[in-house]
Amino acid sequence: MIAIFQREFFGILRLRRAVVAIVAMALCSGLLVLARWPSEGLVDLSGSQARQVFRIFTYGMLAGVLLLAPAWPATSFVQERRRGTLALLFNTPLSKLSIYAGKLSGVLAFTGLLLVTSLPAAAACYAMGGVDLWQDLGSVALVLLVATLEYVAIGLLVSTFAGSTDAAVRTTYAAVFSLCFLTLGPHYFLQGQPGWMPFAAAWLRRVSPLPVLMHLVGQGSIGSQGLMESSSGLPEYLLASVAVTLAVMAATLLQLHSGIFDRSRSQGVITDEQSLGVRAARRVFFLVDPQRRSAGIPFWLNPVMVKEFRTRRFGRLHWILRLVAACAVVSLLTTLAATTGTVDWGVETIGGLLVIFQVLLMVLLTPSLSAGLISGERESGGWDLLRMTRLSGWQLAVGKLMSVAWTLLLVLLATLPGYIVMIAIKPVMWLQVSLVIICLLLTTLVTLAVSAAVGSLFARTTTSTVSAYVVLLAMFFGPLLVWLGRDAPFGYEVVQAALAITPAAAALSVIGMPGFEQYELIPLSWWVAAGVTAVSFGILSARIWRLMRPS
Amino acid sequence: MISTAGPVVVTHELTKRYGEFTALDSLSFMLDRGQILGFIGPNGAGKTTTIKILVGLMRPTSGSASIAGADCVRDARRIKRLVGFMPDTFGSYDNMRVREYLDFFGAAFGIGRRERTRRIDEVLETTGSTYMRDRYVESLSHGMKQRIGVARTLLHDPDVLILDEPANGLDPQARIEMRELLLKLADMGKTLIVTSHILPELSRICNVVAIMTKGTLRAFGTLDQIMQAIRQRRTFEVQLVEAAKAPEVASAVSRGLDESEQQSVAAHDAEAVVRFQTSRSDADLADLLGGLVRANLGIAQFREVPTDLEDAFLTVTRES
Repeated sequence: MIAIFQREFFGILRLRRAVVAIVAMALCSGLLVLARWPSEGLVDLSGSQARQVFRIFTYGMLAGVLLLAPAWPATSFVQERRRGTLALLFNTPLSKLSIYAGKLSGVLAFTGLLLVTSLPAAAACYAMGGVDLWQDLGSVALVLLVATLEYVAIGLLVSTFAGSTDAAVRTTYAAVFSLCFLTLGPHYFLQGQPGWMPFAAAWLRRVSPLPVLMHLVGQGSIGSQGLMESSSGLPEYLLASVAVTLAVMAATLLQLHSGIFDRSRSQGVITDEQSLGVRAARRVFFLVDPQRRSAGIPFWLNPVMVKEFRTRRFGRLHWILRLVAACAVVSLLTTLAATTGTVDWGVETIGGLLVIFQVLLMVLLTPSLSAGLISGERESGGWDLLRMTRLSGWQLAVGKLMSVAWTLLLVLLATLPGYIVMIAIKPVMWLQVSLVIICLLLTTLVTLAVSAAVGSLFARTTTSTVSAYVVLLAMFFGPLLVWLGRDAPFGYEVVQAALAITPAAAALSVIGMPGFEQYELIPLSWWVAAGVTAVSFGILSARIWRLMRPS
Repeated sequence: MISTAGPVVVTHELTKRYGEFTALDSLSFMLDRGQILGFIGPNGAGKTTTIKILVGLMRPTSGSASIAGADCVRDARRIKRLVGFMPDTFGSYDNMRVREYLDFFGAAFGIGRRERTRRIDEVLETTGSTYMRDRYVESLSHGMKQRIGVARTLLHDPDVLILDEPANGLDPQARIEMRELLLKLADMGKTLIVTSHILPELSRICNVVAIMTKGTLRAFGTLDQIMQAIRQRRTFEVQLVEAAKAPEVASAVSRGLDESEQQSVAAHDAEAVVRFQTSRSDADLADLLGGLVRANLGIAQFREVPTDLEDAFLTVTRES
């Protein structure tokens, strides 16, 4: 176990991106405190300034854990399996438990090191006064440590069954973000109602560290719809999180057997060669049969775009139809739940919820589709093959970007039925809805351009995907951190300027979401989005031009 | 179609430097149409660098390279049409069937839909891969992938095929099939440049061999020309009846050789064999054998050890 720990821990430390993560974490946490450090010789006796710093520090640390903790474990087993070193490990006298414990402790030690770099910033928070060492800092540290353990365990589990490193990274982030954000949804709608469902939703919410941390920093009332909770929910969170972690650990250990190397491979069954009855049944069942022999690429379609759809796990038409249908159902259900469940919510709140749902979907989906467009080809050796064809860099870029853009547009369109319900309830809102749709289209464009540009800077898909997530989440959720401190420490102008960075905030402002309605973000936000998109496409074009040239 | 007259592949003083390190040093050679060039050399010899310059993926520091008159750096579009390149990595795409994979590359080469369908069937037939056409690419074995790789390079019917390590990692059966496939392509009039570490395979298919070490071309020519150059010192073996006589025979052989050749004489007691290298004529060697027989040393056999590509490679690389 010690040997595995050493190899894992020092192996990560030797990576350049690990050094970048450590330095970034130390710098960001330091800067967060420095930004609010008293510049005058006055003492804030109430401790409110210290609480503000502590709030930003806590959210910053949670963002750090969410973004950095899953990256390394997600690739751990899958990378070893693909390189063949996992088979060598299994052949040693080490037990599966030792291998797992070594890997877990190695990754945890590194993530712990990341958290340790924020200690000076935490000490500075404490030194400002107004923050209790055990009650505040200790509790936050405990929540972050437990969350880290949970996310590392999830990353390792995903890594045991994923087929490739980029698929592992995507799935891990999807699982982690779902646990952190999506688990809050049912409680938001069901709180205060009788029956077992609100009870179950309240426990589901306990899996996320967000409500506990919000309570600890004094923002527990946000999203509570006036129903105040007396307890922070820390013991419940610890219980739920430890239970999830233990279950995930057990599942990972069960996965670690020789069957991990012995996966059946499809022999390529083709429906066209089946009997007429089977063909007809499959046509009815699938609508678009995934096993029919596909037609050649027509001259009027970009071959790279078709290739991207075909190689994507969920890119085939039958999967896209399912995705679109699921989005439409979720959109309508959200609207239905919001309109029937709580009579005192306005249409504005419903619209705000829809916008949040759509933006979350875009921000979480886009990097997984577009960050690896170039790096995936470079990693698999396909880039040189593409360079040897007659395709120009322009055709490559357009084909790849269009494959993502069409998917995102379909998903976006599928989530629009909710707005139709809104206009039916309050017809005068059609102008607002139109502006919101423009904002959402710009959001789609920005997320696509930024993640493709950031991803193109790296040769490895894992690094591309993680970097794209970091940049996009910073772009979309960073301004929301500033918004959370809208009365103090940040003034109206600062919050407005910060919100202008993301067209999602403009959409919330236009729809009149409580808390956003006072900001005038259009057209500034549109200009910013257009500028960011143009710069990102410029970077992407320059990268493709550079990579297409003889080296 | 390229002209049948004159060389197809020409490199002149081709050099590639990375700072202080010279990956390729003044490489010059010519290759005629229909020939199969075997590019051999240890790892880091500059084979892949040469290939990447030839296919236009890399720019040389100095010198020039052309294929059928098209400059490999300046005339990238013509090079793409003329050359089919199979790198040492397959470049597979998951979730794609073989026919879809070839269809994509066919479309990327600008082949029309109907023509593409015909070409896919043709190249699958040529490479003996028709039965794989509905299989998923990621489910293929290494040997199958290599064959699909060759099929991919043939899609746009190039005149020159450049294959980097096509036999690498193949089992003996797949290696034989690959050899037959390459000979078949040469019969079709294609010019082939093949790199490999498996020298016996190369010696069976190549009519021209280039041996490189440390970025420098050490030997170039037909297999016979290279063998002749190396055979200036041939290796002989004297098989004895009794191993105990080996030292005595070794000293008798040494006496019959020049001083510079005497160092090569070695007695192998375990095998009851004495080996030596010499550049002496067959008449001189007849005298030497006669002397040994007359001395009644129990000579069972006296034979020349045949030199193959492996020996040629080892001799050239050792000298360098």
